[in-house]
Amino acid sequence: MIRVVLVDDHALVRAGVRAELEGHVDLVGEAGDVGEAIDVIVATKPDVVVCDVHLPGGNAPAVIRGVVDRGVTTRFLALSVSDAAEDVIEVIRTGARGYVTKTINGAELLDAVRRINDGDAVFSPRLAGFVLDAFSADLGATGDPELDQLTAREQEVMRLLARGYAYKEIARRLSISTKTVETHASAVLRKLQLSSRNELARWAADRRLL
Amino acid sequence: MTSDVPARPRWQLPRIDSRERWVGGVAAAVAREIGVQPLVIRAAFAILALAGGWGLLFYGLAWIVLAVAQPDRLAPYRPEPKGASPIHRHIAVGMIVVGLLSVFSQIGFAFFPKIVVPAGFILTGILIAWTRSQDESGVAATARTVIGVVVGLGGLIAFVLVSESFIDSVVVVLVAIVIAAGVGLVAFPSLARIGRELDVERQDRVRADERARVAAHLHDSVLQTLALIQRHADDPARTAQLARQQERELRQWLYGTPATMATRLGPALEAMAAEVDAAHGVPVTVIAVGDTTDVDQGRIEPLVAAAREAAVNAAKHSGASRIDVFAERLPDRIEVFVRDTGQGFDPDAVPADRRGLADSIRARMQRAGGSATVHTSPGAGTEVELVLPLLVDTVEPQQEVSP
Repeated sequence: MIRVVLVDDHALVRAGVRAELEGHVDLVGEAGDVGEAIDVIVATKPDVVVCDVHLPGGNAPAVIRGVVDRGVTTRFLALSVSDAAEDVIEVIRTGARGYVTKTINGAELLDAVRRINDGDAVFSPRLAGFVLDAFSADLGATGDPELDQLTAREQEVMRLLARGYAYKEIARRLSISTKTVETHASAVLRKLQLSSRNELARWAADRRLL
Repeated sequence: MTSDVPARPRWQLPRIDSRERWVGGVAAAVAREIGVQPLVIRAAFAILALAGGWGLLFYGLAWIVLAVAQPDRLAPYRPEPKGASPIHRHIAVGMIVVGLLSVFSQIGFAFFPKIVVPAGFILTGILIAWTRSQDESGVAATARTVIGVVVGLGGLIAFVLVSESFIDSVVVVLVAIVIAAGVGLVAFPSLARIGRELDVERQDRVRADERARVAAHLHDSVLQTLALIQRHADDPARTAQLARQQERELRQWLYGTPATMATRLGPALEAMAAEVDAAHGVPVTVIAVGDTTDVDQGRIEPLVAAAREAAVNAAKHSGASRIDVFAERLPDRIEVFVRDTGQGFDPDAVPADRRGLADSIRARMQRAGGSATVHTSPGAGTEVELVLPLLVDTVEPQQEVSP
């Protein structure tokens, strides 16, 4: 079973997520703030950390950096109610493998955790929308074009994700395998994390004005 | 919020009220603090001014202190009640004036006019030119500046004229600088402290205002909704709908777009989604990509209206638990997709009299120069695709309904 740690400062949210995941994954720990989260993750070394974006003591990126500094390798799924683009982009650029909103239902969350555990990327429609927006905006990229642009196929996959399609449906529509869809999604995630476009952060900050 | 009310009233600096002032408002401020008529204090300053110009010096120094501190931006000014009766207060003012006069007569009225009168004029002139109230119009401000400069220059000229020789005037200026430096050194720490305290007080006030604003908003919105949710606790659908509506509203408030942006496609679709959700109880998620600020609002409206019809149709007939709306601004067109994962339908099997909705969406888009396509089949959900070309004026309308 996948070993999962749950990080959220609201006990009610933790209880809700716990109820949805219980029996399907092995919940090895919970935490309510940044310091506690780093300690619990370092102590239990889970496969997947389901982590709220906004936390007392420094937010999800602080947890990811803290865990990396302590030499522990794990995968993060960001779970948030926040729609602010700068928060979402920052947590992905720090190393989270996916972002879903708290309105997600239990089955979808479980699927997302499994996908993260398999090393895939998880894009909610909103994250896909942010990605399209960030890469379509004319930011005057100067770095590696391989990383600064999405391929036509990657754009198609992101568009379908933003339209609310599941990976399986996307595969059917584009006549490719689900595994190929996952490959495209992971490539986009990598570009999001490694892109030399410093403007991404500025784009995210400006996003609320668009 | 009992913490906002200090247990003991704190002494506050008298504040200058621009409506009460004749010259700088110092006399009026002092009068209000002591509790006498401003005229009494004005007379006292005038008498002291005649006594070798000391009154002008005092006036100028008091003005500097009050103007630098700028207490008018702070909490309401409440002079602490004084124990003395009105008659005693007037007598006190008189005693202070007489006392000061007797001190000045010791120091001498003859030498000090050489420093005090001109310096008082210069100081007063600078202050007249410098301080201005926010409600003063441009003409009044200019007049004030001119008068201030004239008075200041007059003081400077008088300074040189009253001196018997040039050397004398240089000595007098040096003495004045030394005195001013001394006064500055003595007064600066306490002035700086007053400034800091006023700053802290101002920040506290801003924080309290902000807290009150947030509290008022939460009371009007979130608390009301929570009360409604408790009343509808036995109706899960209604409860979920109330929660979603409140979430949307609160999110708008927290991260919201300013009202001037409401004509853009993204916010317009968000508003549409909120209405459909409120009317039909199905959550509508909107993802909007790209900027439509350069697009005429008249072109966006039919697009939003068509998207609304599609979303309402999905909410009423598809049986889906949520609706996804995706809008993207591409260089030459805007695309909007309204998708549900509901039961779908066989487009060919829909009776002619029931095709109204698809037709009206299509007709609406065609009038706007765009097109609408419905992708659906039984059991596969429905997706309505709306395309609005931006650079081309007319476009071949698409008629087919593809599976």
